[in-house]
Parts: sequence; C-alpha cells; structure tokens
Amino acid sequence: MRKLLKKDLPRLIEWLKTSYLLYGPTEYGFAPIADHTPELITPIRPPKGIFFPQYQVLFRYDGKVPKSKGIGLFGVRPCDAKGLLILNRIFTQGPYRDNYWQDQYQSGIIIGIGCNQPQPTCFCHWFGIGPFGKEGCDLFLTDIGDGFLIEAVSKKGEDLISSFDPLLPPTDQDLKRRDEIVARAEAQLKDGIDPKLIKERLDNLWESPIWGELAERCLSCALCTYLCPTCHCFDIQDEEKARVRIWDSCLFPLFTQEASGHNPRPEIRDRLRQRIMHKFNYLYLQYKEAGCVGCGRCVIFCPVNLDLRELMRRILDEG
Amino acid sequence: MELRSRIRELFQKGEIGSLIGYGRGTLPLSARPIFITEGGVDQLIFDITCGVNLAKYLLRKKPIAGQKVGIICKGCDGRAIIQYLTEGQLNREDVYIIGISCPGMIDPNRVREKVRGRVVTNYQMNGEEITLSGDGFQLTLPREDLLSRSCLRCRYPSPPIYDTFIGSPKDRVEIQDEYRSVAEIESLPAAERWNYFQSEFGRCIRCYACRNSCPFCYCDVCFVDQTNPQWFGKGVELTDTIIFHLVRALHTAGRCVDCGSCERACPMGIKLTLLSKRMEREVRERFDYIPGLSVEETPPMAAYREDDPQEFIQ
Amino acid sequence: MWQPKIIAFLCNWCSYAGADLAGVSRIQYPPTIRVVRVPCSGRINPIFILKSLQSGYDGVLVSGCHPGDCHYLTGNYYARRKFALLKALLEFIGIEPGRVQFSWVSAGEGEKFAQVVERVTEDIRRLGPARYLIKDHGAEVED
Repeated sequence: MRKLLKKDLPRLIEWLKTSYLLYGPTEYGFAPIADHTPELITPIRPPKGIFFPQYQVLFRYDGKVPKSKGIGLFGVRPCDAKGLLILNRIFTQGPYRDNYWQDQYQSGIIIGIGCNQPQPTCFCHWFGIGPFGKEGCDLFLTDIGDGFLIEAVSKKGEDLISSFDPLLPPTDQDLKRRDEIVARAEAQLKDGIDPKLIKERLDNLWESPIWGELAERCLSCALCTYLCPTCHCFDIQDEEKARVRIWDSCLFPLFTQEASGHNPRPEIRDRLRQRIMHKFNYLYLQYKEAGCVGCGRCVIFCPVNLDLRELMRRILDEG
Repeated sequence: MELRSRIRELFQKGEIGSLIGYGRGTLPLSARPIFITEGGVDQLIFDITCGVNLAKYLLRKKPIAGQKVGIICKGCDGRAIIQYLTEGQLNREDVYIIGISCPGMIDPNRVREKVRGRVVTNYQMNGEEITLSGDGFQLTLPREDLLSRSCLRCRYPSPPIYDTFIGSPKDRVEIQDEYRSVAEIESLPAAERWNYFQSEFGRCIRCYACRNSCPFCYCDVCFVDQTNPQWFGKGVELTDTIIFHLVRALHTAGRCVDCGSCERACPMGIKLTLLSKRMEREVRERFDYIPGLSVEETPPMAAYREDDPQEFIQ
Repeated sequence: MWQPKIIAFLCNWCSYAGADLAGVSRIQYPPTIRVVRVPCSGRINPIFILKSLQSGYDGVLVSGCHPGDCHYLTGNYYARRKFALLKALLEFIGIEPGRVQFSWVSAGEGEKFAQVVERVTEDIRRLGPARYLIKDHGAEVED
C-alpha cells in the first residue's frame, strides 16, 4: 500500500504511458489519454470493447496485420474490472482459446478505482463485487481526498508500481480515512440478492409468463447487450478485404436465423429469455458465477425501463 | 386524477378492452409503457417523463374479442397513428384514440448532461422552469435545457384525430425557427459538416435503439439485416454506421413526425433528428407535405407530380 | 493524369440506348464510366448509390428517361423524388455535390450522353479521389 498525492497524478499517467498505450475514462467510453489528466467518471460504455473491439479485423486477405500494442486501462470501476475477468474466463478457459482476446488482455494492465459514491442503480454487491472490489485489477486506487492509496493486486501491478518513485507510505490517518470511505460506500448498497437463488429459480421458469410480459414492452434492440460489460456474443463475416469479427446480440432476430429461413427464437419473448437465462443460469452452471456485474448500465439506459433488478426480484418471488 | 377516472369509465362502458399507456418507471424521471385492462387503471400516469412513442405498440397489439385497443396519444403518437392509417398498417376501427395535450417531454440524455453523475430523486415544474433535486443538490433550469429538442420545436402538442380527449386540446403552436438546428449545420462549410457528422455518428454503437423505438421502422426485415445480399457491414466502421443512419433517414422521410424517440433512446446522445429534420424540410418545401396530419393524403414517397422540381437533373 | 472511376446506372429503355447510340455514332467521351444497366431509373435504390460510394467509386451517374417518356409510364417520377432527397442528404452531411449526378438522356440523345459523361468526369476530376464514405477495413495496418 502506497500513497499518491493528487498533484502527482499527471506524473503517474505520464509514466504509465511510457510502457502502455494508456486508455482512460471519458463520458462515452474509454479512450486513449492524450495530454490530459482523465476525469475519473464511469463512462457510458464499459471497457470490454478495448480488448474485444466491436469491429475487429481478424486478418486481411492482403496479409497486412492490424496494429496492436500493450494497452493500459486507467480508472476502471470494480464492476467493469470484474466484467473483464469474466470475459477472460469465457475466452481463454476450456478447450478453446481466443487468441485475439488473450493477446490483448494479457499484455495489458488494469488500474482500478474504488467507488466512493455508488449510484442508486448500482447492484454490484449482489455478485460479491462491492464498491471496492479489486478482482480483475492489477493496481487499485482509492480516492481519500488529498490523494490516492495505491494497492498492488497482482504481481504485474507490484512490479510496475515498485519502480515508480513519487509514492509515499500512507499514514495511519490515511488508512483510517480509507476505512471510513469504504464503510460509507458499502453501507449504501443494501438488499442484496443471491445469484445462486436466481439460478435455481430460473431452472423452473422456462415456461413462465414473465417472459411474455416483459416482451410486451421490450423493443428488441441491443442497447443492454452492447453496454453490458460481460455480453460477448459475436459474428464473423467476410468483407471485401478482410475477415472481421463484430459484436452480435441475442436480442436480434438475425442472431439465430438459419439459412433455411427457420428461426428457433422467433419472438422477442424467446430472445429475452435467452439473454436472462444465459447470464443467470447457464453461465452460473458453468462457472458458479453469474454473467452480470451489477453495473446498472442496462437499467439506466433502457428506453422502455426494463429494470433488471425488478426482474430479478420477480424471479425470486415466482420461482 | 382525471386520466384514471376517464379511462376507467371507458373500460366500464366497453369502449375499450385493453389500453396502452404510461406507468411509473423504476428510476426517478422515468416512465414506461404499460399494457393494462381495467384492473390496471391505477398504474396510469402522464407527465413530462412519458416520452416513449406508444404508437409502435399498436402494431403488436390486436383487438381481443372485438374490443378496441385504447391508446394514450400525445400529438406525436397521434400523428404516427395517422401515418400508419395512410400506410395501411392499422384499421381505424380497431383503435380507440385517447388524446391528451403534451407538455413536452424531457430527454434523459439532456438531464444526464446537466446533472453530471448526481442522482435526481425528484422534480418540480414551475412554468418555464424545472427544478431537479436529489441528495444534497438542487438545480433549477429553464425548460429548454431539459426538454427533448423535438418537443421544443413541436407544433402539434395534441393529436389531430381522437375519439375522446382528456383535458382540452391545445391549439397548434406557431414555431418560428423549427429548422434552426438544421440551418446551424448548413451554415458550416462542407468539410466541417462532414467532421461534425463523423464525430456524432462515430459514437454510434449500432444497438438499433433508435430504429427499434422509431414508430416508422416497422419493416419485418430492416435493410441492414438483409443477408441476401447483405448491403452494408454490420460493425461500427464509420462508413457503415453513417450509411445506416442516412438510409434510415431516407426510409423515414415524408413519414417521420419528429417525435424524438430515436434521440431519447440513444445511449450515446447522438443528435439523430438532424437528419430526419433535414429530410422533413426537404419534403415540405419540395412536395408540400407534412406527415401525420391527414388520413386522406398519399404519403409523398408513394406519389409524384409531373411538375416536381428537377433543378438537380441534367 | 488521374482518371476517376465512375459508376453509371442507366435505364434500359432510354439512357442505355443513348449510350449505345453514342457508341455506334463513334462519339468520343472519357473512358471513365462503368455501366450498370437497370430496367428503369425507378429501380435504382438509393442504397445502390451509397454502396457504390462505399466500394470506392469516385462518382456516381444516374440516368433515365425524360419525364413523360418512361417505358413504365411513372417510374422516373418516383425516382426523381427519391433522388432529390438523397442528394439533399448527401450534401447535408458534407459530401461534395458533384459526386452523385443525375441526368435524363433519351434513346436518341447519343450526343447528350457523351456530353453528360464529359461534364461529370470533369467535375469529379476536379474533386479528386473520393475520401468520405470508403470502407477501409481497419485502416491502421503494418506489413
């Protein structure tokens, strides 16, 4: 544990930029940090697209290779860092590895920051993350007012930060202040739901009328999917000069459309059920963890207010 | 509340068998479409958060046992229904239009822009001002800063046709600079216009919330979803994204009633109505047509005049 | 000299025959156009034009029968409305006005067809290669 004074933040950033192509939060998403000190906000888009681009050239027919460089992500929230970890598990564990993801993710570094002020739409604590969850980060920052406490979470993080000079040892008062901040933030996240229970309830809800009711309102757009830190479905297409990978969404009818014309998930109801089942049942079955990190983006941005938290509570009531 | 008692009455008299309306959402400043029968009347609300255009749900909801589907209609919902009638998408006798005067709807993107991460728990309207309040802050802003851009230039707050009206219909509003946003862009040199649209549409994530919330994007298979042939790439390369929005603007030209649903639905805050507004003006000037006002008129893109202007053709 | 690549959508009954007449009459015009024969100018979906620009054509020429001469009576009237909107929209977003051009050329107007191609070629030559809507498939590449 070390302390970085706020006035030294630009130095840290400059220093990180010597080893990494450093991305920081902007209003709309993570973007390369040019000559500024990034404002540590939670962007609309999660950072998944940095390692798993929405449009990714897998190879070009002319043999030229798309450029890539070790990427550093600065100012990642605990939910988003955990989201990346979940994606890493999906892309790299099991019999098949996704090299495109692996190369990017493993050569990168993730610098997380705790959430002093969780939002009412945050529900990361349902999934065991919490406003100061460090899982998935290499370094973790806590804002204590006059500076940041920096903690190395991984070996990579430790190696990196040990050679950065302008850090101070934290005083007892700093640690005390951090404990207060953490306690205050955690107290704001109440009424958790156990994802294991949701999983069990969903086992019995395949034919539930819930899906039809939700589908009445759902527009079947992919806003929730594309803003989700853990959604990872994709399509591969051959374009004129390259084979590309693009994001796809289970909420689009085309996702399961077969060449024969048959579509096994023709109705919005079927597709919505797939999305929820995949996140909270199938992924839980595979990894003992749900495919949701409680960031609240789908809750905030859904144009017709399909609130995932409300749905989860209903699932608990009905199952 | 007049809204609820009137609707209950309609159910009791058997005028409607079901209703598409608005209910309270789970977030402050949010409402959601609800689909109710008589038992659900107490959920109904109507205020400045009810922006979603409900007309689109009419295409999914068919009358049950011969009983009409009621729908709460602001000006833009009503105009969308008229447009559906001209396009043969609805039977007038299947629908019971419940008109209501629209105060103008807030745009969640504009609210987010103003409160910058703080959480609004309540709001209050005082004439031309809206006060947002939340934990430890209060923010009073002119209406223009929070309302949907489409609502600020709306000339038709009440639906042109209705079966019953809650409150009294508002007259047509005279708006002087309806096309100001378009004119502002047009005053820029071409290269800057391109840069501007590049930065706007460069943010697009192709989630299609705009398309799917648009009352006029009801094609079974959208041109971007066609696979044989597949016209354009489905990723976020700028050219594919821009072409998607251009073609959508063309396909909704002469039909778009500027309800602003697309812009409010967009999570990335893209000013989508610039293109549709530009098309609206072109259709109005060239073909003398304003969508969603009359059931009798043929939509302009399904019609022609022999003397249509053709100054651009050699 | 740099030669622009122009795609020309010509209606079967008038403009294509006009182009043919220019050919058999041995009228010289720049070899810059690639002709796509369509049944009627009303068949030309604005998507064709946008797709052409995306595929790297420097310009697009669309040509059909004069108003009143359409083989299908009204195809070109509907087309005219579509083209008017497309043109306005392209210019609005900053695409140069000369990139996409429209003309009416009848089967008897071989001379006019040659003139149109000449004028369009000249315009596009002045504008230079197309830049805006071309798809680059992940531009930043190394060998």
